[in-house]
Parts: sequence; structure tokens; C-alpha cells
Amino acid sequence: MPDIHLRLERVTKRFGETAAVDDVSFDVPRGSFATLLGPSGCGKTTTLRMIAGFYDPDRGDILLGGRRINDLPAHRRGTAMVFQDYALFPHMTVRDNVAYGLRVAGVPTAERERRVNETLEFVGLGKLGERWPNQLSGGQQQRVAVGRALVLRPEILLLDEPLSNLDAKLRVQLRWELRALQQQLGMTFVYVTHDQDEALSLSDWIAVMNAGKVEQAGTPWDIYYHPRTSFLADFVGAVNLVPGTVSELRDGGAVVSFGERSLTVRVPAGLALASGAAVRLCVRPESLVLAARGAPGDGPALPGSVARKAFLGDLMRYWVTVDGREWLVDQPDPGAGTPFDGDVLVRVRPERVHLIAE
Amino acid sequence: MRSLRREPGVLLALLAVVVLVGAFIVYPQVRVILTPGDSYGEFFSGGTWRNSLLHSLEVMALSTASAVTLGFVYAYAMVYSDMRWKPFFRLIGILPLLSPPFVVAASYVILFGPRGLITYNVFGQTISIFGLGGIWGVQTIAFFPFAYQLIADVLSRSDARIEQAARNLGAGSWRVFRTVTLPLSRPGLGAAILTTAIYVLEDFGNPALIGGTFTVLPTQAYGLISGFGDLPGAAAVSTILLALALVLYFAKIRLDGPRSFVTVTGRASSMPRPPVAPAISWACFAACMLLAGIIALVYGSLVVSALTVAFPQNTALTFGNFEYITSGANGTALQNTLVYGLAAALLSSLLALVAGWLVERGRWTGRRALDLLLIMPAAIPGLFFGIGYALAFNEPWLDWLDRGVLIIISMIFWNIPVGYQAAVAGLRQIDRSLDEAATSLGASSLRGFRDVLVPMLGGSLRVGFVTTFVRAVTTLSVVIFLFTPSSTVATIRIFQLVGDLNWGRATAFTVADIGLAIVALGAVALLARGRIALGGARA
Repeated sequence: MPDIHLRLERVTKRFGETAAVDDVSFDVPRGSFATLLGPSGCGKTTTLRMIAGFYDPDRGDILLGGRRINDLPAHRRGTAMVFQDYALFPHMTVRDNVAYGLRVAGVPTAERERRVNETLEFVGLGKLGERWPNQLSGGQQQRVAVGRALVLRPEILLLDEPLSNLDAKLRVQLRWELRALQQQLGMTFVYVTHDQDEALSLSDWIAVMNAGKVEQAGTPWDIYYHPRTSFLADFVGAVNLVPGTVSELRDGGAVVSFGERSLTVRVPAGLALASGAAVRLCVRPESLVLAARGAPGDGPALPGSVARKAFLGDLMRYWVTVDGREWLVDQPDPGAGTPFDGDVLVRVRPERVHLIAE
Repeated sequence: MRSLRREPGVLLALLAVVVLVGAFIVYPQVRVILTPGDSYGEFFSGGTWRNSLLHSLEVMALSTASAVTLGFVYAYAMVYSDMRWKPFFRLIGILPLLSPPFVVAASYVILFGPRGLITYNVFGQTISIFGLGGIWGVQTIAFFPFAYQLIADVLSRSDARIEQAARNLGAGSWRVFRTVTLPLSRPGLGAAILTTAIYVLEDFGNPALIGGTFTVLPTQAYGLISGFGDLPGAAAVSTILLALALVLYFAKIRLDGPRSFVTVTGRASSMPRPPVAPAISWACFAACMLLAGIIALVYGSLVVSALTVAFPQNTALTFGNFEYITSGANGTALQNTLVYGLAAALLSSLLALVAGWLVERGRWTGRRALDLLLIMPAAIPGLFFGIGYALAFNEPWLDWLDRGVLIIISMIFWNIPVGYQAAVAGLRQIDRSLDEAATSLGASSLRGFRDVLVPMLGGSLRVGFVTTFVRAVTTLSVVIFLFTPSSTVATIRIFQLVGDLNWGRATAFTVADIGLAIVALGAVALLARGRIALGGARA
């Protein structure tokens, strides 16, 4: 049983008539990189702000290290936060920004200086201490914001879309740095983002939120390959969701018919299906393989024809029409051969197909 | 409310502000309104107020119309034309904001009075200049610069890009102004007209100096107290005045919000406006020269009068008037003016900042009510405010309270709307995530306010400080019922000296008073290196 660091129990927050966060519960293990992922307006930022103490939940409890913190004022929670726009104090130098929390806490000057220097080095800003925030690049400002929070050695670190204001390349680079930082410190991070790549690559644990509720929580692997709802499958990554009906159940497998065709797939643990149930076949485009018509090979193959294709560099994405329905198929390393065109076969590996109840 | 309970410091600050507002804004007003009590009936059936009310409305309509017209011309010329000497005209336009409005009446008497330079020395006339015509003329000149500031502020807020677009679509400059700029600025212009009307309505100094038997509401209220000791009557008259001012003020808020300060220096707009025809620029230049000439004449005659024995009869140069005003009791008055002004300015702007923070950043119920009370003094005529303080605090049990302190308190709260609104506007430009960052780093909200927000609100503090100082040193009506011989101030002495027809000394005092305001504005502008904003000075 992992050590639960942060626990939300049936937390609800309403703004007027609408419930921004609706009966949300989850546990975050100590030392994990936990991410709240969801589209804008799903309640992820509201949840984070309740943890930080900027909003009071209308119902439910928030427990940090086993202690209920609902009634603790925000500045006594030990939940330092990194803001989307960094929120650096423009009238303080980088050093003073980082020192601010220690100053408030009344840490003696000598120790303060030592910890500030240490932190500046740690986040790679050793030489920029005397600069003003407006003299820094976006990436540097972001490091100051992280350093300013980390120097306090907070219980947990909250991060509200900290990378969304940076350009694409820097975003990816800082992603790795954040992850390395978190693992080095062994600290619990709670991270909010709408970017599924970020969530998948950074997190130990993801809670996908939609319309104020947690749709599913688990490891990135689980979320990606075993989504419980169509919304989840669609929100995280590209996916083929093909409607079908269960025609037969046998030895943990289900025969699912879609259109004139049928496929035998494994039933995911915890999914109770009856014969005749409406389901969706959930297949990631990279799990499918494209082949020329008549090419030899094993397993089920769907005859179709290429409607469109897009060259994305690391892969070629095809839209293949099968029985009047478009399937997404990704082919890795497109430079290795000539792109497909016209009539093709879409090979399905049944073990790569996941089932979602309709 | 929950967050308030968790932070006793904030709760305490809020309670302090509420108590202060209750004691020094609400209570004095209530006292004035309740003072007549049963005699309201008698008062209204008596009908002595009817003439003053009619006069006030008459003067308000005439002076507002002419002041706004001239102010509009000046503002259009400053914002739209390519005329030369704009910095000079801008400076001339600020001057009246830094002086007691009644200086125009003073120099009017010097120039056109029975022994006036122009009427008597040039034309050999001794016509009567007192009454409606005089007030109209004087208020027009006194208040058009205020109208100009307000209108210029509105016009410069209009979007130059939209005007560029209209020109690009083929409209001429006048057509753009008429069909695009004016309709878009209509609420702002309406608000400017109403604000000017409030200034005119509550003007006490000018009608007091040259009204003669033509009484308006403020002068009637003053006359009832100083001549007959009739406090209930004066309170009833002031209540009528307050009611009118409140109607105008709430109409103004409905049109354009409660903002009551304008930026008076610095660039009007970064984007150039489409050029106007050279002929228009020249016409603007001519009009502005004429208006600036009149203002220069007003202030020039004050300075000359201050430096001569008995202008215009005896024009021998003397420093006797300045020696007189800087020595003895007069020196004390001048010193009081400076000390009261500085104290009021400092305390008012600081209190306004805290109040602005509590209202803008707070999440407690009742914020709207406090907000309304904090902007309300902007609508209260100075005379009403002064009578309120006299009624509420000239009580035996408050005898220990120094009258100078009371004057400072009255200036703090009469002027709090400007600093308060500047603070709220300043806070709105600072993202809340900065407060939250401080909080998440362990600072209580008061601590975050002190460490993070206050240092960023220098501009708002300056607006409150400068405006309060300028208005504190130039107001007459607020303090006229509060002063004692030891706590007298410059404007009171000027008023008394004019009553004694001692023009040399009165004008010397006026010049010194304006000098104080200019030095204060200059010093703060220097510290701030540029932009500062100023609320309207009031009599």
C-alpha cells in the first residue's frame, strides 16, 4: 500500500449554479508526479486552487499528509505554487524573488543566503541572481518561479500549466528538466495541464478530468491503452473508435461485430459485458499496420482505400476508408518505403484492440 | 467571509476602515440632513430657498454650457489639431487646477471692479460687475480648464485606429470626428458635462466674492450661519445642494463610471491621429491663444497686484505684501496650509490604498456598499461637508480635539475618492496571481499587500497624494466652518483679506498658495519622472 500524500474526498466546488468540481475524490502517493489533465473548463485548475487554499471547497475534505487542511489559510499550507504566467514580483531581483518566502518565514540571513544560492544553482540561474524579471527570457522566468517555490522545501509543489507560455521546443526541454528535478528531490508534484503529451511523458499518475469529474485516474500507460470512456480515448492521443455489438462471449474474449465484419478481442478486466451489448472498439492508429492488397500476412485484415494522408515527419498518417468509415493508421519511419496509395489492407492485431462500453 | 475569519489582520483593517468611514463620511452627512428636523416644514413653506435654488440652477446651466463649450474647443485643439505650442497650452491648462477657483473672481474684481484696471483706468467706468453676469463670466473662465481636462481625457481615450480605419474608408477629418469619434465618446462627454456642472453648482468662492445680493445655495447656506447663526436653515439649504449634486453624480456614474481623475501630463496617445487641415489647426491655435491669454491675464494680474502697493492705483513695486503674509499669524496660516496639506495627502492616499485593496481584493459581502461610501465624497459639495463636520465635531465633549487635526481629517475624507479610485484602478492592472504567489510562499494577505502590491502601486499613491494635497491647500468651503485663529489656513485668510478689500495682501497670499501647489506637483512629478494624474480641484 503506497503512502498517500494528498487525498481529496468527495470535493465539490460550485460557482453560482454550475459545479466546477463535482464530487471529486483521488489519492496522490508520496513522491509521485501527479497530473490533472483535461480540456479547459474541466475543473482541473479549480481543484489545484482548492489544494492551494485559494478557493474553499463547498463540500468534501482535502487531506495533506493525513491532516485535513480545509480550514488552514493558504499561506500556512506549505503548498508552494508555480503559476502559469510565473507571477514573478517585478519589483524584486531574481535573488529577492527566490528569497521572498524565506524572508517571510523569518529564516536567518546566513541560512537564507545559502539556500537561495543553492537553489539558484540548482535551477541553473547561478549567474542571474541580480537580474530583474523583465530582463529574463520566458524559460528563465519559469526557472525562477520553480526555484522560488522549491527553496521553501514545501510539502508538495503545485504547478498550474507552467509550460504553456513557452515555445514548443523549450517546452519539451523544460519538461525533462522538471521531471528530473522531481525525481532528484523525491518531492510530490501536482501538475495541471491540458497538454496530453506533457501529461503522458511527465507523470507517474494522471487524473483525467471532464466537466468537473474525474473520468479516470491511473498510470499514463493505463490511461492511454485502457481508457474507460470514449471521451478519454479521444482526449488522450489519436484513436479509432469503431461502434460494434457483442455477438458472443467466450473464455474472457468477446466476438464483436461491426458492419459485416467481426473481431475477437479480449475483454478488459472489470468490464462486465452481456451478449448484444453496444461497445466501441478502441484502436490506436500506431497499433494498425498498412499493407498492399494481396500482400501475405497473418490475422484479420480490412480492405480499404487511402482517402488522405499527411506527412508528419516521424510518421505518415493515413485516413483509410473501410466500409464507408474512415480509419486512422500511422506508419512509422515513412522514409523507409514508398507511401501507400489507392487500395490497401489494414491489418488489425486483436491483442492491440481495447473495448469500451458504449 | 471564511477567508476573513482566518486572517484576523485583514478583518481588523476592514473594521478600522468601516469605523472611519462611518464616523467621518456617513455620520457628518446624517447630522446635516437631520439637523433641521421639524423645521424642514417651516423652512420649505418659508420659501427663502426658492431664489437661491433658481439662481443656482440658472448659473449652473449658463456656466456649464459656456465652460464646456470653451473646454471642448481647447480639448479638440490639443488632441486633434497639429497646432504649435501645445506644451505651452498644456501647462496653461494645468495652472487653474492648482489654484483655488475663486482666484478668477479675485482678478476679475482687480480688472473690472469699481476701481478696476480695465473698467476704471482704461475706460473710466464704475459699472456694477456683481451679480449673475459676473458670476457667469467668472465661472466660465474658472471652470473651462476643468472641462478641458475632462474632455481631453475622453477624446484621447478614443481609439486612433478606428479613426484611421474611417479615414481609410474615405471619410474626411471632420466627418470622422462627427460620425465616429463623437458617437463613441458620447458617454464620456456626457460625464464631463455633468462633472463640470457639479463643480459649478458647489462653487462657493466665486459667488461669495462677486455675487453681491445674487445668492446661490452655497452662499445662502454660508450667509445663514455667519450672518444669523441659523444652523438648521443652513443645513436645510445644504441638503438641497447635496440632493442636486447627488443626482448629477449618479447620472455621471451611470454614463461613464465613477472615475474622477484624469492624467494631465505625458503623451495623450502613442498612435498618431489622422492629420487635420492646416486651416483648422490655425483656427485652433488662435482660439487657444485667446483662452490662454485670458488665463495669463487672470494670473498675471494676481502676481502684479501681489507685488504692488495698491494695484492699479499705486503701481509702485513692493515686497511688503509678501512680508506681511509670511510673518506672525499669517506665517502660521501659511505653515498650517503646508502641514495640513501634507498630512492629509499622506494619510488620505495611504488610507485610500488600504481601502482600495480591501474592496478590490476582498471577497466579503458588503463590498459594494463600502465602495459606494468611499466614492460618495466626490459628490458632496465642500460647504455641505464643512457644515457636517462643524455639526458633528464642534461638540463640547470633543473640545480636547485640536481643530487643526479636525481640518486634516476633513481633508482626508473629502478627498478620499480620488486616491481610492486610483488604488482600485491600479490593483485591477495587477494580476491576482501575484497576490497568490506571495500567499503560496507563506505570506499572509496583509503581508503580501505590503511586500508585493504596495510597491507596485506607486502611481496610484501619487495620484491620491498630489490631488489631495492640491485640493487641501486650495479648498475654502470645507474649512470655512472649522478653522480657529490658531488653525487658520491660506484660503481662509485670503477670503478674510478680500472681505477687507485688502487686495495686495490677498493676492500675495493667493500667489503663495498656488506656489505651494505647484511646488508639490513639481516635486512629485520629478520623483515619478513623468506621468502623474490629478483629480479636479474644488472650491
